[in-house]
Amino acid sequence: MINIKNLSFSYGSKRVLDNISLELKGGNIYGLLGENGVGKTTLLTLLAGLKKPAVGTIDTDGRVPSDRQPSLLADQFYLPDEVAPVRSKACSFGLETGRLWPAYDHAKFLTILQELEVDKDQRMDSMSAGQLKKTWISFALACNVRHYFLDEPTNGLDIPSKAQFRKAITRHTAEDSCIVISTHQVRDLEEIIDPIIILDNESVLLNASLQKITEKLYFDYGTQLHPEALYLEHTPSGAIQVYPNTTGEESKVNLEALFNATHSHKDIIKSLFR
Amino acid sequence: MKSEVFNGQRFWTYFKYDFKQMGRNHVKAAIGFGLAGLILYFLVVLFKLIFTGEWMGPSFNTRVGVFVIMCMALPFYYTRIYGYLTDKRKGSAYFMLPASTFEKWLSMMLLSLVLLPLLFLASSFLVDWLLCVIDPTMSDSILGSITDKTGMLRAELATLNETYETSWSIGTIGWPFLVSFLGNLLYFLLCGICFRRNKILGAIAVSIGITMLLSFVLSLFGETASFQADSMDDCFASKLKSLILWSGAISALIAAGLSAGIFYRLKTIKH
Repeated sequence: MINIKNLSFSYGSKRVLDNISLELKGGNIYGLLGENGVGKTTLLTLLAGLKKPAVGTIDTDGRVPSDRQPSLLADQFYLPDEVAPVRSKACSFGLETGRLWPAYDHAKFLTILQELEVDKDQRMDSMSAGQLKKTWISFALACNVRHYFLDEPTNGLDIPSKAQFRKAITRHTAEDSCIVISTHQVRDLEEIIDPIIILDNESVLLNASLQKITEKLYFDYGTQLHPEALYLEHTPSGAIQVYPNTTGEESKVNLEALFNATHSHKDIIKSLFR
Repeated sequence: MKSEVFNGQRFWTYFKYDFKQMGRNHVKAAIGFGLAGLILYFLVVLFKLIFTGEWMGPSFNTRVGVFVIMCMALPFYYTRIYGYLTDKRKGSAYFMLPASTFEKWLSMMLLSLVLLPLLFLASSFLVDWLLCVIDPTMSDSILGSITDKTGMLRAELATLNETYETSWSIGTIGWPFLVSFLGNLLYFLLCGICFRRNKILGAIAVSIGITMLLSFVLSLFGETASFQADSMDDCFASKLKSLILWSGAISALIAAGLSAGIFYRLKTIKH
């Protein structure tokens, strides 16, 4: 389990995260959403230990990520938005680098590469951005770690690859894994992410499971307009409206609508989910 | 439970990984540095053939000159070896590898201070020796000459020690130079992982700054030492020896400081 307490971080005088507290439990795929520059990548790098919190603490299974202890590093994987090209074939890269992760499974790496349609014998420094990303994704999943921090994993992937990624992430991670995915491509991932964390400038606007979101909010896809709607978006088939769920009726969450509703009515959303 | 600082098995796994990366990225360059003698050979032979019409390899002095230049150029290359750690993508991947900072540092030290210099020396001497064996127009090889000169120096030191009851050895004279050379490599290695851009220029600029500062400080507090080089009396011998020992000790201290600096940088670098 990851415990974030009163976390603050600044770049010089610019504060990015301010007094954030979160609890990330195993067995979940957290969707980390937010506008550009609100600190999603910063939060992921703090969780991975690539940065040290200015104020507050992060506790990952009793260890501090910024200490970069090998036992924790062997139990987590951070996949940045832009991944590094490597001067070797995908297959050799997996064999050589995978040895450092005690639970790495090379057969699994090759299987995922095949599922994602990546040539294992292609040199990584001659791959396209999408192919390279898929190779790193395959490697990350083959490391069989408990904590995954994935920054925009579907960026650069073509349409079939996005579906393959969703399948791979559900099929090839352990049930108790804690996966945090930062993304702008909510439609790519809305089938797999739950709970949802929405970051605003410096703070957490929303941190709730899909079940709790549907308990508190109703997503209406009909044609009848509701004046009390927190968010309204016209679509070719009618409209998407988000309003407080007063009847207890269940609805399908639309992440884009949720995101926009949260941003346009921060205080109402905060009070609803308090 | 495995130690979080050092574990033999984990270190060995990491070292093999780092060794392969080094091999893939830098061994060719180190050997390339050593092959400068071969390039020189072909250039000299070509020019001699064009201008004098005779086959003639480079002279011993020219070869030594090129070897010294390559020795001086090698440290600049050290800004590149682990310079990728300041790159966000490659650096992030490096720091997320499951090994402790100490293990990464130790592997870095072994590969940069032992493996690469040895490869450079081995390839330089081997190429030079082979050319001397193949081409009869070439005089002594550098390695052969070093071996001869070392023998001569050893004999001269033995005479000196007998006459003046001193205890000079090749080690006494040689180790300060070796430590100073390694310190130089460490300095450029550290600059490589500190500066994000213009690593060589940054290293040179800092070096000039430190030299100027030290010169200024020493000019304020330093004392001018004068020796009479024509008389090898006890006082001169002991002063010279202590000077060499002191310079060696200071070089060792600087090298230790630089390697500690590299460790600290590895520990605290953020992406």
